[in-house]
Amino acid sequence: MVTEAERVYGASDPKYRNASAPPPRAWVDRDSNKGWFRRLMPVLAAHRVLIALSLLAGLLVAAFGAVIPRLVMNAIDVALDKQAADIGFYGWLLGGIALVRFGTSMGFRYGMQKASQELEYDLRAGIYQHLLTLSFGFYDRAQTGQLISRANADIRAVQMFLIFAPLMSMTLVTFVAALGIMLSINPLLTLVAMIPIPGVYWVGHQMRGKLFPMSWLIQARLADVATIVEENVTGVRVVKSFAAERQQLGLLGRASERLRWITLKQVRIRSFFAPVMENLPRIGRALVLLYGGWLAIGGQITIGALVAINMYMIGLQAPFRVIGFLMIMSQRAAASAQRIYAIFDERSEVEEREGAVDLPIERGHVVFEQVSFGYGAAPNVIEDLSLTIEAGESVAVVGRTGSGKSTLIRLLPRFYDVRSGTVMIDGVDVRDATLESLRTRIGLVLDEPFLFSESIHANIAYARPDATREQVAEAAALADAHEFIEELPEGYDTIVGERGYTLSGGQRQRIAIARTLLVDPKLLILDDATSSVDVHVEQQIHRALMRLVEGRTTIVIAHRLSTIALANRVVLLEEGRIVADGTHEELLRTTPAYAEVLTRAAEAGSTQLETELASGVGSEDLLEDVPQAGRMTPGLGRPEKAS
Amino acid sequence: MGPMGAGQQAGQATGLPFAGIPPEYADQIDALLVDEEEIPIPDLPFEHVEPDRKPFTLRSFLLPHWLSFTWAAFLIGLDALALNIGPWLLQLGIDEGVWKKDFVTLQLIVLAYFGAIVASLVVSRQRILFTGKLGQRLMNALRIKLFTHLQRLSLDFYSRERAGRIMTRMTSDIPAMEQLIQEGVVNLAMQVATLLVVTGFLITMNVRLTLVVLIGIVPAMVIMTLWFRRESTHRYAAVRERIADVLADLQESLSGVRIVAMHRRENYNVRRHRAVVDDYRESNLSAARVSSIYGPGADFVGAFGQIVVLVVGGWMVLAGEISVGKVSAFVLYINTFFAPIQQLVQLHTVYQQGQAAAKKLRDVFHAQPSVAEAPEAPPLAPIEGEIEFDHVTFGYDDDRMVLRDLSFSVRPGETFALVGETGAGKSTVAKLVTRFYDPQQGSVRVDGCDLRGVQLDSLRRQLGVVPQEPFLFAGSIRENLAFARPHASDEEVLSACQAVGIDELIERLPQGIDTPCHERGVTLSSGERQLLALVRAFLAQPRVLILDEATSSLDLKTESMVEHALDTLLEGRSAILIAHRLSTAMRADRIGVIQGGRLIEMGSHDELIAQGGSYAGLFNTWLRHGGSVAEPSA
Repeated sequence: MVTEAERVYGASDPKYRNASAPPPRAWVDRDSNKGWFRRLMPVLAAHRVLIALSLLAGLLVAAFGAVIPRLVMNAIDVALDKQAADIGFYGWLLGGIALVRFGTSMGFRYGMQKASQELEYDLRAGIYQHLLTLSFGFYDRAQTGQLISRANADIRAVQMFLIFAPLMSMTLVTFVAALGIMLSINPLLTLVAMIPIPGVYWVGHQMRGKLFPMSWLIQARLADVATIVEENVTGVRVVKSFAAERQQLGLLGRASERLRWITLKQVRIRSFFAPVMENLPRIGRALVLLYGGWLAIGGQITIGALVAINMYMIGLQAPFRVIGFLMIMSQRAAASAQRIYAIFDERSEVEEREGAVDLPIERGHVVFEQVSFGYGAAPNVIEDLSLTIEAGESVAVVGRTGSGKSTLIRLLPRFYDVRSGTVMIDGVDVRDATLESLRTRIGLVLDEPFLFSESIHANIAYARPDATREQVAEAAALADAHEFIEELPEGYDTIVGERGYTLSGGQRQRIAIARTLLVDPKLLILDDATSSVDVHVEQQIHRALMRLVEGRTTIVIAHRLSTIALANRVVLLEEGRIVADGTHEELLRTTPAYAEVLTRAAEAGSTQLETELASGVGSEDLLEDVPQAGRMTPGLGRPEKAS
Repeated sequence: MGPMGAGQQAGQATGLPFAGIPPEYADQIDALLVDEEEIPIPDLPFEHVEPDRKPFTLRSFLLPHWLSFTWAAFLIGLDALALNIGPWLLQLGIDEGVWKKDFVTLQLIVLAYFGAIVASLVVSRQRILFTGKLGQRLMNALRIKLFTHLQRLSLDFYSRERAGRIMTRMTSDIPAMEQLIQEGVVNLAMQVATLLVVTGFLITMNVRLTLVVLIGIVPAMVIMTLWFRRESTHRYAAVRERIADVLADLQESLSGVRIVAMHRRENYNVRRHRAVVDDYRESNLSAARVSSIYGPGADFVGAFGQIVVLVVGGWMVLAGEISVGKVSAFVLYINTFFAPIQQLVQLHTVYQQGQAAAKKLRDVFHAQPSVAEAPEAPPLAPIEGEIEFDHVTFGYDDDRMVLRDLSFSVRPGETFALVGETGAGKSTVAKLVTRFYDPQQGSVRVDGCDLRGVQLDSLRRQLGVVPQEPFLFAGSIRENLAFARPHASDEEVLSACQAVGIDELIERLPQGIDTPCHERGVTLSSGERQLLALVRAFLAQPRVLILDEATSSLDLKTESMVEHALDTLLEGRSAILIAHRLSTAMRADRIGVIQGGRLIEMGSHDELIAQGGSYAGLFNTWLRHGGSVAEPSA
């Protein structure tokens, strides 16, 4: 019996102790009109028992905290001043309370931390899950550095706030309890003690207004620094080959300097407000000494009462200080929460319709009907394009760089949705099919192979993590990758470094092809997938692909004749429109633009080599390999003069 | 237009979402930025050889600033004095005013209290300003120091370390250090100063009762702190490790998100990310268990201290040794005595995290570039472009050689093509010429100078490399093109664009040459990106050009255009073309065929064809597969 954990991670990977970690228990409220805290409520509610118990413990802590100074007052007045009771009795009483308070306080703190960690877990797991649902359009716009900064610093800020907020609210409870006891001691003296409170609130409010916008700016500038580092790490080769280290250092220096500028501005604001916040309560204490002293001289209150009121005020000074801190934290948390919600509010531009059907793609009949499409707000890249590809047909899409070839095929697995028109597979609008069925049955090999920092096995088995060794090796063999993989020190277990840098471009490409072949797609799309391999390897891959192309609909984006040879029909794209459609020879005959795209130097006349080619050296080999392809004419006819 | 508008902050400048600042705050932020001077790009010194190689520790980092720290300590001491004089004044008030029923003295004491408040306002402000500036100066220096070091490290470091982990050093560890210095060190000093001031007041009031406090209570606190320290160190280290894992996983998922979507790996990846986050949560809880014992424990010891003072002080009152006022002041001071210690709890966390961060940073600083510039290496004089591989043996790992005893030379001005199968070691040759790596045996020479003996910058500035997978930086197309020469004039940039033939492409873009490239230029096709990389190399005006399959993603027509442009560029320059398209290779003056890391054939196209060896075989295969050729113009 293979457990889920073993299936997912392999039984021997101790790195992930908890492979069956639960899904996030709740999501933030979708209603973006609500305040940041209210939007968080569902997530908090998911942990309500823990939070409630912790808060209860917190209430006890607060109550005990409020009682202690009152007892000290009694101890001073009764046991010391009047000497009417044993001081030892108060000692035991206070000691007992302190002990109970210790226990409840432990429960409170751990409970709150646990709750906030659970919440952080929910947010992290949730945001990741959400990010993976977003469409390509989002990732074309977003910067990874920014996203990571949100998923890290911002979630952290919210989590920190949620640890501190209850701690603060408990001191607020203490405050209310203390106020009650103080009022019972002497109402007027209590009022005098409370004089600075409105001031504290007002100053805090002012400070908040000044610091809030700054926190946005600081975060943004932190992200700027992170972006520069990220780019220099991923683009390290470019930086080094142009000896641009110093120039990049300058850029970082400036970003860092700009961060420092705004941070210092924040320091200046703080240096003005913080001492005021700190000292306002002390004005109250000085006034209490004056008025309370006067009352005590007149015998209206006891010395114990004066001490108790002072104890309360000292006790309350910490909350006063943290009210300011809490305000800053809540600003940070609010700012951070907004940024997190911005991600949660991001909707995939490609969403599954209610009642979307599972599209089996049995035939692979593809229709583009008057399709127009463009990225984001940019003008159309595909313009009113109609194209029908019969089941089992293989079509080469040819066109100059930027003519919309890659864009066109990205509409099939619904990486993007059309602006107008429809894309249909087997007569079903792709927008009516489930993404799952589309993407598992359409195999797409991109021109830039991205490998993950995992073993080669895991990379090939990316779409089917449960594939066996043999299946993976088979797919690798089909992509002509098996041989070189076997030669690696650890074979299929070799970890390929980030972005697979230790492998050559051709090797990575073949792994990417194997990755797609493993899923045995019904509809195969090759986006110039063999551009980075040499002729020899390309030939081998093509031989493998030939077998695959047979009987399934294939679309290849091609720059080279050798790739076009995979197809039995060619479509020429120009600025998002189909300008020619037919077999290779037909196009060569009828469409000068096609030859132009394929030919090299325009002024080249008939050369010795071309003569050789025209005589068809060895073209039989090729035709053997390409049973379905139309007859190739390697010489390409006369090249057009460049206009 | 000096000041930057909010709209230009962060990614917004490049039109990306998540620049962070919501529009409703834009006005407020613009107001903030009104007095920001345009910060010029600073000219920071960069040496490939680290000037001083002392190990990085918190101490060595902070020590040079001891004078500033001393001044900060002075301000902090003053601040602590002004802040903590309260209970002492209260005791005076009770004993001299209330007890003696002397309202005038009481008024004087209250007046002094107000004086202390004013002093505190002034001193606190100075303290916050000074320490804030100091902290920012240090952090700025640290960011630059770290980045400088990262820039120094060789490629093997970058292929070994995950980008996410390297990022964490800047995004997590430096903020942790900042917290340590800004809140930690300053607060620590503040709390220590408070303890000293309060102890001073206590001693002046009653020595015996002070001794009770110091002997009876302080050791309990110290023991608890030591326990906490022992228990928490490895826990906080684990938290840092785990968060780095979380970020690395996130980073990679986002970089490869298109592959994830294509292969419907969302569910699997989500489960895995949960597992990583769960580990992180566990490590946090483990740390929380320890800290939630320590915090309340410290509170308890504080309360216990008050009780002891009250009871022992009470006995002393009964024995007539001390006034009630003084016992009251003692009780009140215990609060201020232990508040710092409670604060130190939090500081301890900050300290632990800062230490852990410092250790991580130390590890990075400890990593040394494997391709080190020799100290005192002279700059490489402007080169003719002769490149010589002299019995070069090289492998990325010591046990797996990629190049074996490879010797060849490229004459000045010559175009030399390398062909061979994928994995034969062609690209590795390019990496050795640019000295991304050093050979294990033999040497690579440019104009007769061993690369290991010259300054890296002077070498690389004279080489232009166009890689197969071009990397574009966030920023405008123009910035990307002028990467090697940021001060190139518009005409120069445009003529380079024309030479490569992307002027039309650029005209089509919404903002022309100032159009922002989105992250890694995803909205551009790989062919377009290669063209941009070519322009980049054109602009650099290198003495030697290395094209590492630089035209592989271009359509034939574009490629031929590029090759014509290359003919112009290559005039008088040496070039190494690494190509799998023989159409590219055959234009070269000479062609070398690499197989299994060895050079097996070398000569001009015609010579090699005539030889009928491996190249001729490759060529024939290629022809059969529809390779179309023009007359080699070179």
